[in-house]
Amino acid sequence: MRWLQLLTVSVLPLVALAAKKPSGDRFSDFRSKSLSSGNLKLDDNVYTQLTKAPRDYSVVVLLTALETRFGCTLCREFQPEWDLLSKSWQKGDKKAESRLLFGTLDFVDGKSTFQSLMLQTAPVILFFHPTVGPDAKVDAQPVRFDFTAGPQSAEQIHAWVARQLPASSPKPSVVRPINYVKIISVTTAVLGLITFVTVASPYIVPVLQNRNLWAAFSLIGVLLFTSGHMFNHIRKVPYVSGDGKGGISYFAGGFSNQFGLESQIVAAIYGVLSFATISLALKVPRIADARAQQIAVFIWSGVLLCMYSFLLSVFRIKNGGYQFWLPPF
Amino acid sequence: MAAPASDTLLQQFTGRKTRGVLRFVILGLIAGAAVSSRLFSVIRFESIIHEFDPWFNFRATKYLVQNGFYSFWDWFDDRTWHPLGRVTGGTLYPGLMVTSGVIYHALRALTLPVDIRNICVLLAPGFSGLTAFATYLLTSEMVASPSAGLLAAAFMGITPGYISRSVAGSYDNEAIAIFLLVFTFFLWIKAVKNGSMFWGALTALFYGYMVSAWGGYVFITNLLPLHAFVLICMGRYSPRLYVSYTSWYALGTLASMQIPFVGFLPIRSSEHMSSLGVFGLIQIVGFVEYVRVQLPNKQFQTLLRALVFVIFVVAFGGLVVLTVSGTIAPWSGRFYSLWDTAYAKIHIPIIASVSEHQPTAWPAFFFDLSMMIWLFPAGVYMCFRSLTDEQVFIVIYSVLASYFAGVMVRLMLTLTPIVCVASAMAFSQILDTYLDAKIPEQGAKENGSSDPAKVAAAVLPDGLRSTRNPLVGIYSYASRLTVIGASTVYLMLFVLHCTWVTSNAYSSPSVVLASRLPDGSQHIIDDYREAYYWLRQNTPDNAKVMSWWDYGYQIGGMADRPTLVDNNTWNNTHIATVGKAMSSREEVSYPIMRQHEVDYVLVVFGGLLGYSGDDINKFLWMVRIAEGIWPEEVKERNFFTQRGEYRVDEEATPTMKNSLMYKMSYYNYNSLFPAGQATDRVRGVRLPAEGPQLSTIEEAFTSENWIIRIYKVKEPDNFGRDHQSATAFDKGHKKKRASKRKGPRVLRVE
Amino acid sequence: MRGLFSVLLLALVSAVSAVSSTGGRLLVVLEEHSEREKYGVFFGDLEARGFHLTIESPKSESLSLFKHGERAYDHTILLPGKSKGLGPALTANTLLDFMKKEGNILIALSSDHAIPTSIHSTLLELDIHIPSDKGALVVDHFNHDSNKAAEKHDVLLLPFPQALKPNVKNYFAGEGLIAVPQAVGQTLGNESPLLAPILRAPNTAYSYNPKDEADIVEDPFAVGSQLNLVSAMQAHNSARLTVVGSAEMLQNAWFAEKATLAGKAVKTANRDFAARLTEWTFKETGVVKVGKLIHYQDEGVSKKMNTSLAIPEHNPTIYRIKSDVNFQIEISEYSQDRLAPFLPAPGDHVQLEFSMLSPFHRLNLSPISQTANSTIFGVSFKTPDQHGIFNFRVNYRRPFLTSIEEKRQVTVRHFAHDEWPRSWQISGAWVWIGGIWVTVAGFVAFVAVWLYSAPTEKSVKKTQ
Repeated sequence: MRWLQLLTVSVLPLVALAAKKPSGDRFSDFRSKSLSSGNLKLDDNVYTQLTKAPRDYSVVVLLTALETRFGCTLCREFQPEWDLLSKSWQKGDKKAESRLLFGTLDFVDGKSTFQSLMLQTAPVILFFHPTVGPDAKVDAQPVRFDFTAGPQSAEQIHAWVARQLPASSPKPSVVRPINYVKIISVTTAVLGLITFVTVASPYIVPVLQNRNLWAAFSLIGVLLFTSGHMFNHIRKVPYVSGDGKGGISYFAGGFSNQFGLESQIVAAIYGVLSFATISLALKVPRIADARAQQIAVFIWSGVLLCMYSFLLSVFRIKNGGYQFWLPPF
Repeated sequence: MAAPASDTLLQQFTGRKTRGVLRFVILGLIAGAAVSSRLFSVIRFESIIHEFDPWFNFRATKYLVQNGFYSFWDWFDDRTWHPLGRVTGGTLYPGLMVTSGVIYHALRALTLPVDIRNICVLLAPGFSGLTAFATYLLTSEMVASPSAGLLAAAFMGITPGYISRSVAGSYDNEAIAIFLLVFTFFLWIKAVKNGSMFWGALTALFYGYMVSAWGGYVFITNLLPLHAFVLICMGRYSPRLYVSYTSWYALGTLASMQIPFVGFLPIRSSEHMSSLGVFGLIQIVGFVEYVRVQLPNKQFQTLLRALVFVIFVVAFGGLVVLTVSGTIAPWSGRFYSLWDTAYAKIHIPIIASVSEHQPTAWPAFFFDLSMMIWLFPAGVYMCFRSLTDEQVFIVIYSVLASYFAGVMVRLMLTLTPIVCVASAMAFSQILDTYLDAKIPEQGAKENGSSDPAKVAAAVLPDGLRSTRNPLVGIYSYASRLTVIGASTVYLMLFVLHCTWVTSNAYSSPSVVLASRLPDGSQHIIDDYREAYYWLRQNTPDNAKVMSWWDYGYQIGGMADRPTLVDNNTWNNTHIATVGKAMSSREEVSYPIMRQHEVDYVLVVFGGLLGYSGDDINKFLWMVRIAEGIWPEEVKERNFFTQRGEYRVDEEATPTMKNSLMYKMSYYNYNSLFPAGQATDRVRGVRLPAEGPQLSTIEEAFTSENWIIRIYKVKEPDNFGRDHQSATAFDKGHKKKRASKRKGPRVLRVE
Repeated sequence: MRGLFSVLLLALVSAVSAVSSTGGRLLVVLEEHSEREKYGVFFGDLEARGFHLTIESPKSESLSLFKHGERAYDHTILLPGKSKGLGPALTANTLLDFMKKEGNILIALSSDHAIPTSIHSTLLELDIHIPSDKGALVVDHFNHDSNKAAEKHDVLLLPFPQALKPNVKNYFAGEGLIAVPQAVGQTLGNESPLLAPILRAPNTAYSYNPKDEADIVEDPFAVGSQLNLVSAMQAHNSARLTVVGSAEMLQNAWFAEKATLAGKAVKTANRDFAARLTEWTFKETGVVKVGKLIHYQDEGVSKKMNTSLAIPEHNPTIYRIKSDVNFQIEISEYSQDRLAPFLPAPGDHVQLEFSMLSPFHRLNLSPISQTANSTIFGVSFKTPDQHGIFNFRVNYRRPFLTSIEEKRQVTVRHFAHDEWPRSWQISGAWVWIGGIWVTVAGFVAFVAVWLYSAPTEKSVKKTQ
């Protein structure tokens, strides 16, 4: 094993040399070009060069639009995965037995290619089967992978590529480099935290043991969850949307549908209602003064009534068939 | 003090038996209300089992009643999941069936022969009464005021959040599980309060019952340890906690391992690891406490504390390592998807496809809990005033359950009890305060009530610390009247809401659909049973029926025919096979159906009636699940048009038009309409002028409103032709005689 | 099941009426009665074999293959006639329906009569191809009868056919030479396994149309042994159809004729070849029948499991995994007029499949005993370690033999909770059992000690 690595290491410069003067074989040329970065940076004519028949190797090309002005977030967040995949593939079979090349064509370099393929969306991955050789396919049409299922990980794309390749050829798996920086930073952070806790414990412990703090936390949690915050989180609903007439509609139509702002409004209503209840139940009977108590009772009952009736009216918006209501709303 | 329930009823007041009697009467009435408000469906329709899963439970119960317990225990069901079969006895929670079986035999012993179906239909309402009672007990453990308990019982009795799963006929595990849940919690609280091994053992007993009844027992398995853990962290460790927890854990785990379906999970899967960990932790803590009592040495105590901490950390790390190394099973998909909410959508489409696994929007909360949704936080807050051990439990339960209920609609069920308890506490607090007859004498008259600043300061609430100054009471009758009047109105509104929701939303047995005719009269749509009984009466006893898995249980229960897949989705590949057969061309799916010996194919089609829950709307899930197994042969992309729309009309993609599901749904549909006028009332689109053609299957039955269509799979052609050419020949298209053969002639080799 | 029953019933009927296993009502479609005596001997032989002949002209209105939706005849012979069409009673669909109802058809072609379109399309549907142009016939410049067809070379003289494959029974063996005059050659499609050639043309034969004046034949319809003079088709329901290339070979003129092949005089044996042919086509030979079929649990090994029943129950619906099973099937073959024990050709086996989705076992059934008119095949095996719904399946399809397709569905269940070995029978478990009892004993001992060393009054006081 050792000597093999040594061998490859010793071979690498030679390959680099070979890269200088293009030999007859297109595959080895491109491969030696791509050795540095893992995948080839293409433009239109290199692309045609790379993918023109006859071809005794297979090519995977990522058509993407990285520049921010295109606003293709998917492209940008997929790019590192793509580089990782191609790099680890290259590391995986040094002897290039799979005869597979990775290429990346950015829109700015390959406008005409995009037009010729009539691509409206990016990113798209094309897999070109070899047209000659043992595992050649009859139809020259590339296999196309659309990112319909949203962002993909390197492993998923690897599985897809592996499916295209014949069973015999090697399929080196994706190796994610160990992120030492992250590890170190995490460990230091943890240690620092521990020391901080040990040092500052006399000040923290009372805070941790503060009952009101916990009460606040748990109440906020309950209000959030019961007002459908998890729904917003999972369904990624819009925060608020405009109705047709330029205004803002705070409440989404439909029983099982809501906006972010809507759920917050509801949470606020709940909060006010329960706060009124608490005051009526706990605060008011502790008011020593009669008139003050009287006023407090009226105020809080009023608040309760208004809020509840407002809540009911909102619910009537959501659920048409609902028939109960309270004055004033 | 081993107090039976009646004692707990009476213990709050001294000598006044009448109150006790009154309480019994009230509880009886509450139970009556709970039961009767669940009978809408029986009155409107008939005594029938609802929906899907109940049909399996019903079938299993019948099997149990007929063949006895042991053969039920070893039941190998050869009429589902053909041809794999299902080891049913070992893969279900037998609690429900056994319960109704026991009731059945008990009634027979009392010479009251009752049809098992009626027992199954009425089991859930019956248990709802018990649940109300259990809620009463739990609440009266929480607060001193006895009225809170009665309120909680009343709330629990009629709240839609619980009725949704326990109307008459919805014969599902939850029917008894919620009672067991609440009662187990009551026993647990009892055990923690008294620190008695007896209550701990009772907790374990009912925990075992719960395990045998519902998969949701995991909620208890994690909540009780969490409670214990929090108490320890609050420095509230006590021998009472030690005794109750250890006795519960040891006995309860043994009890749960007696259920074949659970088996060794309690020591294998990470859902159960928390309870095991806390068990270990509490041993250490107990030991440390013991030692500390023995030798009051300051440094030594800190040392011990450190020891506890270190051991805890080490044990946790060990757990993680074991999980990673695979000795302990990682979290099962359904459970894990509660935390990583994106998990199911990516990895387990089957789980994601179930509607009741969707997240909950706020209207659903209000719909199910009405007024209590805002009483609930108030009640939780009140627990913080005197934070006793049991009230800590309420807080934990509230936060966790509301999270779960937010993630999954069906888990609203676990939230409901605690909501009832908490809001009852809040409400009863108000009632107690304002119904208190005695008027406090004006003690501090001289400190000028006239001073508006003081008044304002007094009126304005000072944050959460609202319990500083001493309790005075309510002075004026006016304020009493206001608050009491308002509360009464709210309560009445609550009752109205619950009744309305129950009768409108939760009382239809989805087997029989009800619709309103133009003149307002009710029209019953009974296609499901029509079709199932057709199968039962017109097909051989072991004719295999292929349908999407939603209808497996109903076919098994009503039509009594073997099915390929059903609602117990234990074998993803098998389901994907059916999905592939449905979503492929006839030439592809015919071999699959022959291999699985399918005789009939059943599809649900709502196009004529506008019944939106039909198979075309579920079709994409079939495609996705099939694509998960055969990504090369079934591609979801091909079912969407260029513009990414999912259409069934002229613009539908060829893949869609050639898929077996599409053909079966729309076969002969044009014949109902004048030429070119065929419209689909669900999708609301005009269909292609000429309908699809079928060659490998033939229409066998179509129900009155076309909701269910059944097709028969043809035998292979007698003369070895493929079905397409055979049907073409029968239609009269003769083959052209091969006048001049083109290309090289194929020689016959013998 | 119903198919089996009907076969039995028909066999019963045949026992009284005719020798054929499926009844003796035979329809002969012949256009003009004048030709009847041409086939006199042939018909005579058939009647002698117990067939009841009905000779109808395709023109007649009374002719119909079906009556009340059922077959009116068991077999049909279509002899060539002048007219191009066979009329409404004998369209291609009716012929196929006739076969779908297990009727057998013998079609005789002739090169000097037009071939009706319905026959054409029927054959085409069954993937049997005949030359489309009228009058095409098979000639052979080496194996012809040199005194009847001295210069035309269109009367072939052939030996009886050999077995199709070494391990296939031959029902057409015989002595002598067959004369095949003016034959219309057929070629068989390559896909269908239901087709089989009965009499092939020799390698030197080819098909051509004497009407085209070209003195060289380019692109003939077919040549050599690709060309069949008599070919057979047996449908899935074992309905049989035979195509005879030349109707003349069934006529008296050629039944016992002197001919000369390559100079020496021979005698044609068409008569008993025709007999062989009709025997096979009309289900007198090559008919196999399944009698009793039993499978039962072999108690020999798993006796201790359930000692109660002494004799094993026959054909149970449920088995357990890893239990021994016996399977027996009784097969008999119908030869001319009676059921005889069936034995597969040497090198051939009847096989049993025990399959769920795919076969878990595929076993050769070996003959274990013989009764007067049947052989009992049997095999015993162990059910696989996989529960599910399985099928005992015997699927035996050979050329010239009616197909056997028997299926019995059984359930294979898992171990019941009380069928596992008890804990003390597992030596590995002794440690744990020991542990349990030690713990119990230890606890009891501890309690005893505890109670024995009860605290004294004083300490009790202190605790309160």
